[in-house]
Amino acid sequence: MLLSTPRSSADKTAIKVAVLLSVGSHPLTGRGRRAEQDARALEMALALPQADAQLIHAGRLNDESEPALRSYLGMGPQQMTLIQQPKQADVLPALEKHLRQLGPKLILCGSRAEAGEGSGLLPYLLAEKLGWPLISGLAAIESVDGSSATVLQALPRGQRRRLRVKLPALLTIDSAAPVARQSAFGPARRGQLAEVDAPVQMDTEQEGWEVQPARKRPKRLKIIKATSARDRFKAAAAKSEGSGGQVLKDITAAEGADAVLKLLMEEGVLRVSS
Amino acid sequence: MSDIIRRDPRKAWIARNRLHPEHASVLAELGMGDAQPAQWMGPNGVMRKDPHRVGFIGPAGIKRIDRSGVQGAPGQVQARSTAAQDTRTAVLIAEPAFHIVVVPDMAGGRLSAHDRDLLGLARQMADKNASAQGAVVAIVFGELKEDSWGEAGIDRLLHLSDAALEGYSPEYRIAILSAAERELKPRYWLFPDSSLGGGDLGRRLSVRIGERAATQVWQVDLESETPRCTGRGAAGRKDITRDLPRVLLALAECGEPVSDTRHEAQAIQLQQPLPEQLVRIEDLGAVAVDPASVALSEAEFILSGGNGVRDWDGFHQAARVLGATEGASRVAVDDGFMARDRQVGATGTWVTARVYMAVGISGAIQHLQGIQSCDKVIAINMDPGCDMIKRADLAVIGDSGEILSELVKRVDGLKQENRDVA
Amino acid sequence: MLNIILPVLIFAALALAVVGAVRRISLWRQGRPSPVSLLAGLAAMPRRYLVDLHHVVGRDSYISNTHVATAGGFVAAAVLAILVHGLQLESRILAWALLAATTSMFVGALFVAKRRVNPPSRLSKGPWMRLPKSLMAFSLAFFLITLPAAGILPHGFGGWVLALLLVALVVWGLGEMFFGMTWGGPMKHAFAGALHLAWHRRAERFGGGRSTGLKPLNLDDPNATLGVEKPADFTWNQLLGFDACVQCGRCEAVCPAFAAGQPLNPKKLIQDMVVGLAGGSDAHYAGSPYPGKPVGEHQGDAHSPIVAREGKALVDAETLWSCTTCRACVEECPMMIEHVDAIVDMRRFLTLERGETPNKGAEVIDNLIATDNPGGFAPTARMNWAADLNLPVLAEVKRTDVLLWLGDGAFDMRNQRTLRAFVKVLRAAGINFAVLGNEERDSGDVARRLGDEATFQSLARRNIATLAKYSFRSIVTCDPHSFHVLKNEYGELGGEYVVHHHTTFIGKLHEDKKLNLRGWKGGKVTYHDPCYLGRYNGEYEAPRAVLRALGIEVAEMERSGFRSRCCGGGGGAPITDIPGKQRIPDMRMEDIRETGAELVAVGCPQCTAMLEGVVEPRPEIRDIAELVADALIEQADAVDATAKKPQVEEALA
Ligand SMILES: Cc1cc2nc3c(=O)[nH]c(=O)nc-3n(C[C@H](O)[C@H](O)[C@H](O)COP(=O)(O)OP(=O)(O)OC[C@H]3O[C@@H](n4cnc5c(N)ncnc54)[C@H](O)[C@@H]3O)c2cc1C
Ligand code: SF4
Ligand code: SF4
Repeated sequence: MLLSTPRSSADKTAIKVAVLLSVGSHPLTGRGRRAEQDARALEMALALPQADAQLIHAGRLNDESEPALRSYLGMGPQQMTLIQQPKQADVLPALEKHLRQLGPKLILCGSRAEAGEGSGLLPYLLAEKLGWPLISGLAAIESVDGSSATVLQALPRGQRRRLRVKLPALLTIDSAAPVARQSAFGPARRGQLAEVDAPVQMDTEQEGWEVQPARKRPKRLKIIKATSARDRFKAAAAKSEGSGGQVLKDITAAEGADAVLKLLMEEGVLRVSS
Repeated sequence: MSDIIRRDPRKAWIARNRLHPEHASVLAELGMGDAQPAQWMGPNGVMRKDPHRVGFIGPAGIKRIDRSGVQGAPGQVQARSTAAQDTRTAVLIAEPAFHIVVVPDMAGGRLSAHDRDLLGLARQMADKNASAQGAVVAIVFGELKEDSWGEAGIDRLLHLSDAALEGYSPEYRIAILSAAERELKPRYWLFPDSSLGGGDLGRRLSVRIGERAATQVWQVDLESETPRCTGRGAAGRKDITRDLPRVLLALAECGEPVSDTRHEAQAIQLQQPLPEQLVRIEDLGAVAVDPASVALSEAEFILSGGNGVRDWDGFHQAARVLGATEGASRVAVDDGFMARDRQVGATGTWVTARVYMAVGISGAIQHLQGIQSCDKVIAINMDPGCDMIKRADLAVIGDSGEILSELVKRVDGLKQENRDVA
Repeated sequence: MLNIILPVLIFAALALAVVGAVRRISLWRQGRPSPVSLLAGLAAMPRRYLVDLHHVVGRDSYISNTHVATAGGFVAAAVLAILVHGLQLESRILAWALLAATTSMFVGALFVAKRRVNPPSRLSKGPWMRLPKSLMAFSLAFFLITLPAAGILPHGFGGWVLALLLVALVVWGLGEMFFGMTWGGPMKHAFAGALHLAWHRRAERFGGGRSTGLKPLNLDDPNATLGVEKPADFTWNQLLGFDACVQCGRCEAVCPAFAAGQPLNPKKLIQDMVVGLAGGSDAHYAGSPYPGKPVGEHQGDAHSPIVAREGKALVDAETLWSCTTCRACVEECPMMIEHVDAIVDMRRFLTLERGETPNKGAEVIDNLIATDNPGGFAPTARMNWAADLNLPVLAEVKRTDVLLWLGDGAFDMRNQRTLRAFVKVLRAAGINFAVLGNEERDSGDVARRLGDEATFQSLARRNIATLAKYSFRSIVTCDPHSFHVLKNEYGELGGEYVVHHHTTFIGKLHEDKKLNLRGWKGGKVTYHDPCYLGRYNGEYEAPRAVLRALGIEVAEMERSGFRSRCCGGGGGAPITDIPGKQRIPDMRMEDIRETGAELVAVGCPQCTAMLEGVVEPRPEIRDIAELVADALIEQADAVDATAKKPQVEEALA
């Protein structure tokens, strides 16, 4: 279903949903792209019946960011609002101002950005400023009415929890939500980027930060609290496990099952207590 | 330890469950290693050994006793944990110079490994200056099963439990944490940066108290002039190093868990009553999701069947008993034994399970691509030369049907024991 | 009496034919413009018909002879009938000629009828079952009414009963053959077919040429709809081409997707386009349906979307995504219809405008955009497989004789073995070669065939820019898909190169005596022709020559050479992965097994992957490069050994 066209905004029963979108970055190449989680947030808004999705990005429009932003438009919506903000700006005040004007019932966004600080604090800051409730880790929106939304939150192991939240509310989406639809070249190219001016406040705190490409984290060494010399020796001499698995040949099915069970227990994936 | 002997049901069932990995240590801990222990403390404080119960039969058939004390009776694991626990020194911080608050996730009611790492880090920060030691306060919610607070390095324990705290109650919890902020004025707040628990609460608290949290922290440098921390940014592609803020959301392995001290874990309470809560988020409860049909990409434990599975009923039963999500090779899907959305691999789903168990799957490259990011792979296959065996961490060569049914028997047995205990 | 009625009938039929033609032409003109020379095309038409078309038709000598007799007879009969009966020219010679023509036509019609007694399933039934009868009616009627003119029978023979009967036959015959030809009936193929040959979009195909590269899509106009959404979005001569289909079903018989039970039948697809251009439903279609899709549920018109967003329109998307772009249909089509162009045109719309590339399609395209390879691997890892090979990289050496284009197989462990083997062969032959290394990108093949022309052009342009930085004589690659794209599809974007497939290159090395090969000791071997090497580029001989050089006598499969059956790996089909009843590679493996071969030689990473994906036990799959590398007698070893000796002695001294 495609309810992405702004035609629905004329519709009185339409629920205004603001979707905050950032410029993503591919994990291997760092090339700009639609951010994975933000795209899922947009997908969720587009798939929501009676939703009037408003796409919002706060940042700069340049050769690098434009294709990435357009790839959201490639999902169908015809317009995106671009709140002009320089690099290193704290986009919060600008976003807050714009959202207060817009007055959506729901704000959807990804859990954290793929570029920059990527702390995932922005949705919380925004919710705090607006005084709205926030739900994180959203997997699905089940229903929305004038005053509340029923949603599913993703728990580990594919489990879900049903929550009801009073509107207006802010919802953050992570990777358990449905995958974003494909972005098509034609609509991406035709979509409008409507630029609006906004107050600028620089994020000065970041100046004291050192930002480097991520280092590999050292592998934790098994700390052996040896109680005897013999233990210490054994620990030192022990082969590091890992590379190359264990192959159990010429054993009975029962022995094999024991070995498998032991590993399942060690990994803690077996839930024997119901 | 206290003199009162408390019965721990969990330990009791572990004691009866010979297959449990902690079986031997629990037995030893409970002094149930045998009808009579192999060694004991004599009345004069001298260790006594029963020569019939120690040692092992050497290769020449002669009994040998290993004086290092490592070797137990044949087939029995040494009671290491008793010894280890005894070496912990008790630490008591009566007048802390400051507080560090840790809010562990308590997944399943217990301190997780991530929680313990965090507590280890908190300990490090609290103990940095020996002359002005701080206290580590843990704030925990709801009904819990944990009983080793002290061993994890907790000096003070603020445990709140009331019905409104069960389930998802971030707003209530933040009210509590805000109260703790007012009363304890902690020097630092530490949260595990996990997707739901600490990651959510930590960010909420950080914006509530107006302190810009450092997130995805994996290293804290206490040695430099002003303490600094390094965390991941830009979706893990950057390292951001900055002065240590008051609120820290840290990754697993950010610190070493406490291992050789035992702390007081003294229960404390909030002084002020909490303000009345306006509930804006209502928890309507868990949605039953059948583990077998969880989306493959989200599954933690996958039992995957291929062309080598002959008994599909047995396979499905195994998945049910193991509580595993079902996956399949393309051949199993093509042959109509499994639904298309269960296919793992290049043209199916790329899975990220912690344990991937491949039954009768040869390990074609297109299949292996799909399990690249699985933690542990178990293979059950007749052919010891197949590629799945090369990929596997544990491979059992044999007939898939037989091994699965043996496994089912064992797990059923465990569940039965568990029910008996409960 | 007949003297009056016949001219009236003939000219009425001709007039109706003109009306029909105007209507048909206006239907075609709904399409987009396409630059072809109308007059030159018409002038070239007879030759195209007699040579190129009959080259294809001639593969089935039964129908070829039948067609010559029937069609030749008809054309002559029609012209003569107009002269003799329409214009009432009194000429015994003409009358006798007309008798001969109708006889020929009648005999042909008998053979057509015979084919229709127990027609193979690929042939359409319906009106096509009527055609031999119509042919007979026409030829018989004109034979009989010409007898008096030829002086064999007296005028007025048989009285009015026979005259009435003859008039009825003439009406039937004229209706089918004149009016039906242009208004729409089985005979439409003659009218549309002739014009299609004249105004074909790929004039290069005729006269022994080859034109297999996809036509680029103009991306300059941001407001233009990309690709084909509605039948009217095809070019007018594509629409004309669809109309030329004779529903012979040769395309259906060779289509791997159809055989695998996937919902595609190239004949039905062309017929659906015909339905679309005239408007209506497919209920009258009388051939094999798309497997699993009953006839009669789809309809459309020239200005409605071919693929519905929801529900059904003219064609379902999965039909379009089942195609492997193997070109078997195009190769077999006697009417020179371009199925693959049409399918890709429609895919372009689905991908570029709707964003509906199925299954892993979207992911692959995203990967291509973000990492320049379909697997989403780090572009900096492209050369990891060759870390120990010390391959010269163009960024350092700047110029070389031969540029070895690796293709995305560089990321695939299986294909890395082939690449290693080929490097060994190049080194043994002492070839001065280099690679682009991490500067190489996917050629754009998959993106283009998935309809993502934008990503194709982006990759192609960047590759062309990279290639422009260096100097080399030729490109050689182990991947027929890259080969085809570099050779045939980069030209229009400004990249003209001399490109060889590695089997061609090895063949040349062997001819030049640069390789020293051991004889083959293994068992029976067969060879699988990759579509993109064979049908797309006409290279059937070089791989076989190399195998011969190895001392291998290829046990040919029934479907080999230009009739080779696709492995199922082309056109992004493994990515879109539309389910069928069986898998294409399984069928191909059956073909291989039938030869009794223990090993199948291949020359394409995609074929290797597809065939190795067939469950064991099965014949072994080896790339020709691997077979050659294994058979190399390396003089280098011997030289090295002697060269080292003195050193050893020195060391000892
Ligand atoms: C383009 C392409 C994409 C593909 N995508 C995928 C994909 O996404 N996912 C996928 O899975 N495949 C995919 N394949 C198919 C893949 O190549 C293999 O054919 C397939 O994975 C093999 O499945 P299998 O291991 O179940 O079967 P087999 O290869 O037949 O393996 C069966 C195994 O079972 C063992 N066995 C037999 N009997 C027993 C027994 N009683 N007990 C224990 N073991 C037994 C055998 O030793 C053997 O190792 C793809 C192929 C291609 C060409
Ligand atoms: S190109 Fe091949 S798969 Fe596609 S329709 Fe033609 S024969 Fe079928
Ligand atoms: S498209 Fe060509 S091959 Fe197929 S039925 Fe029509 S005329 Fe025959």
